[in-house]
Amino acid sequence: MIRAGIRRALSLALRRRDRWEREVEEEIKLHLALRAEQLVDQGRSPDDAYAEAVRRFGALTESRARLLEAARHREARMQRTEYLSDLRQDVTFALRTLRRDKGWTTVTILTLTLGIAAATAVFSAVSSVLLHPVTYPGADRVVLVYQQPAKGNNTGINVTIAPPASLVRAWKTGVHALEAIEAFAQSDLKLRTTGDWLDVHATRIEPSFPSFAGVRPVIGRMFTSSETATNKREVLLAEGLWRSRFGADPGIIGRAITLDDSTYSVIGVLPASLRLPRVGSSTPDVWLPLDLSDDRYGTSVVARLRPGFDAARATVELDSVFARVSAAHGEKADFRALVAPPGRQVSFRDSLMLLGYAVALVLLVACANVAHLMLARSDSRRRELAIRTALGAGQSRVFRQLLTESVLLAFAGGALGVLAGWIGLRAILAASPTSLPALTLAHVDYTTLGAALAVTIATSIVFGVLGAIHAGRDSTNEALKSSTQRSTTGRGRVRQILVVTEMALSAMLVVGASMLVRSVANLQHANLGFEPSGLYTIRPSVPRGTFRDNAARGAFLRALETRLASVPGVTSVTMTSAPPGWWTFVIGRLEIEGRPAPPPTSTEFIRVNRIQHGYFGVMRQGMVAGSEFTDTTDAAGQVIINAGFAKKQWRGESPIGKRIRVAHEGTEPWRTIVGVAAEAATGGPVSQEATAALLYSAAPDSVTAALLVRTQGTADLLQPVQALAHAIDPGVTVKVLSVETGVADAIAEPRFVMMLLTLFTALALALAAIGLYGVLGYTVAQRTREIGIRVALGAPRARIARSVIVGGIALALSGAAVGLGIAHWGTKVIESQLFGVARSDSASFFAAAIVLVVAALLACIVPTRRALAVDPMTAIRAD
Amino acid sequence: MTRLPVVKGTLDLLVLRALSWTPMHGFEIVSWLERAGGGSLELEDSALYQAVYRLEERGLLQAEWGVTENNRRARYYKITPAGRTHLRAETKNWVEYAGTVTGILTAAKSSLPDGDAS
Repeated sequence: MIRAGIRRALSLALRRRDRWEREVEEEIKLHLALRAEQLVDQGRSPDDAYAEAVRRFGALTESRARLLEAARHREARMQRTEYLSDLRQDVTFALRTLRRDKGWTTVTILTLTLGIAAATAVFSAVSSVLLHPVTYPGADRVVLVYQQPAKGNNTGINVTIAPPASLVRAWKTGVHALEAIEAFAQSDLKLRTTGDWLDVHATRIEPSFPSFAGVRPVIGRMFTSSETATNKREVLLAEGLWRSRFGADPGIIGRAITLDDSTYSVIGVLPASLRLPRVGSSTPDVWLPLDLSDDRYGTSVVARLRPGFDAARATVELDSVFARVSAAHGEKADFRALVAPPGRQVSFRDSLMLLGYAVALVLLVACANVAHLMLARSDSRRRELAIRTALGAGQSRVFRQLLTESVLLAFAGGALGVLAGWIGLRAILAASPTSLPALTLAHVDYTTLGAALAVTIATSIVFGVLGAIHAGRDSTNEALKSSTQRSTTGRGRVRQILVVTEMALSAMLVVGASMLVRSVANLQHANLGFEPSGLYTIRPSVPRGTFRDNAARGAFLRALETRLASVPGVTSVTMTSAPPGWWTFVIGRLEIEGRPAPPPTSTEFIRVNRIQHGYFGVMRQGMVAGSEFTDTTDAAGQVIINAGFAKKQWRGESPIGKRIRVAHEGTEPWRTIVGVAAEAATGGPVSQEATAALLYSAAPDSVTAALLVRTQGTADLLQPVQALAHAIDPGVTVKVLSVETGVADAIAEPRFVMMLLTLFTALALALAAIGLYGVLGYTVAQRTREIGIRVALGAPRARIARSVIVGGIALALSGAAVGLGIAHWGTKVIESQLFGVARSDSASFFAAAIVLVVAALLACIVPTRRALAVDPMTAIRAD
Repeated sequence: MTRLPVVKGTLDLLVLRALSWTPMHGFEIVSWLERAGGGSLELEDSALYQAVYRLEERGLLQAEWGVTENNRRARYYKITPAGRTHLRAETKNWVEYAGTVTGILTAAKSSLPDGDAS
């Protein structure tokens, strides 16, 4: 269609060129003839006269060329002027007609705006957080490298292991599929500022890291080698800290700063654009040298794939190097490399994808609505267009007129949509929970923006043009004759289909939203199995190295524990290796006495929690069977297991007195089960029932040991606890965390997603309702005459109202039927986000149907009232 | 009789003047100029057409095909309202300008040193 149009436009131009050339020739010829005649009249001979005419005209070849050139110039300019004046006329006229139809124009622009805004905001977030999280050179080849347990992790928790420095060294030389490998290690330090300490994020990197990331120091230089830098205690500041704390002073180079209790010499400043490749990790404030020869560090690893190699190939090579290194040290290669683009490892990924799908549906509804509005308008304007055609406006002129209107609308909606999308993304970021730092990466993305604009603008133009073609096709005569538009039932059907589509799409969204609403309600009211309010964890955050050993840590904590009793508000204290929000594991095979032992190859992750007597009391966690430890000595070998595991292994039978042990390299002694503890969802409510083992054993000295404090009312613990800690060991500071806040954080993400999805659903539903309202209003307008006759013949008004409402509900229910049918499969997308709600949750489906009917009823109000207001006399006379 | 070359820019004015009474085709304009100027204007006929095209381009003239008395097809030019305004303004300018120049030239002549004047 477009190509034909272009061809026609070209042939038009060609014809015109041909025409004006001929005209110039004709003009010259006439001039010469007339001049010659004049000369003959004056008595010259005809031959002589013609020669004289030519002479007076000027050298013929030259002047002809000059005239042709002048004429060409004239034509081009006039064509342009004509085009511009037509355009101006079109635009003025379009603005006038749009202004005349204020309601319609507002609804159309609003639809476009909302569709584009929602799509821009969410797709931008998807694009910047999931698709383009790093800005390093060759970003599409940048991958994060982790290690994961090769087998046995059936805890449902994603466990990744930071590879040791020695392995990273081996990888750097031995993996061909990765053209560059960079290690980094994050830690928290304290920066001594004038008399005060400031918490700073430090990242250890090698000298090549900035160039890997495509940046250079803003001032100063990079480390020359890790060894020298480590020995000389060199540090680079991040631009942010340099500006905020050191007033962007270029004289900082060579100055000394104190981190923890060591002095470092500042050698440069790295730009703020240098971010870590892991999405959501905190932005570093200082950069320290990473010494890969020091095997104490576990490091994070980022790498760039060599062009032509993929992650699978890299994984194979990484694993074979690991196997070689492990064999050389006589160790088992129990881990497997995990190579993933940074966007793959985002915790919010599933939720963001879900919102992406939801917004795609909203965009479709908006498009359907625009299409429907455009068709409705061309219907209602058939008479006007027919009159204009009859009065001599060319088909192409009318067509252009409608196109101008569509384009104007599309641009208005587009501009507002982009603006609203930008504001919307800001609002989403502002409302997002702090537990989602990854979202802070989100910014309006121009590709996405362009795509969203293109889709909506294309829709409005395509349907504007389709409407115009339809309107143009109807014979002028017929349109003029009948004002009641009897010949448009076909298009009425198209519009009904569009409305049913909108309703179906909305139904899908409503199902999803109600499932999430129910799920979040479940999360909020979930029985956690313990009481998080008034519960605090206290863990030492140690600025000066680590404790000498676990016993030292334990001794410190025990000393603190005894003194805590004096703090007002504290009712009980206990010690644990895995306070709420933390997990500790042993790796091995869980053997049950009297049952066949699992094969030696089947190691698994077994959750353990090393606790003190009194732990369950502080947690307010119940016992299902048996009791707490009666003897906490190692020799007694008592163990308490979780209810889920007990139920799975000993269905109905009592596990009390049974013996279990963990076997790994060697074999631990048998331990006797003395109690079964109720399940406690310490990481916040989760959807799976925990059937994996959780072993509570005595003796809490461990590297993760922490205190758990139960308080009465809301006590401010930090100050007194800090003071107590200092009294025991002045080098130790402590962190006090509220377990209740931690649990709330765990459901912050689902609640945030639920809120957004509900918002988008409301948007889609409102658009669909507008669509339905449009169709019903149109039907009533068409039926005015019929309704008038019915009323005149004595039909009760109630029956007329009923017919309109039934029509509306029928459309809504058809849409609901289709939408719910699709949702039946589509809820797969949402399944992973649900807690205590089945994918096939009938209540959600039922609620969706109800919501749609209510929306339909609202959409019926105005058309019904209009139908009721039909005056039989005017309606019948009108035609 | 000396033939005067047409001062640049004034041809447009003359054409507009010609058309200010009635639409004409090219040769009619030429003939009118010859009659009105008493044959004293030196002008190639083709230059007139160039002027006409230029004026048409600027929207000061409008062209339309018509038929001559002898039933020949000819392109008739008609002055537009914009053309009329232009003619009025430019005529005023020209008259003032010519008057001023004439005034200066004639005044200067009388004050020239005798020797040079002879």
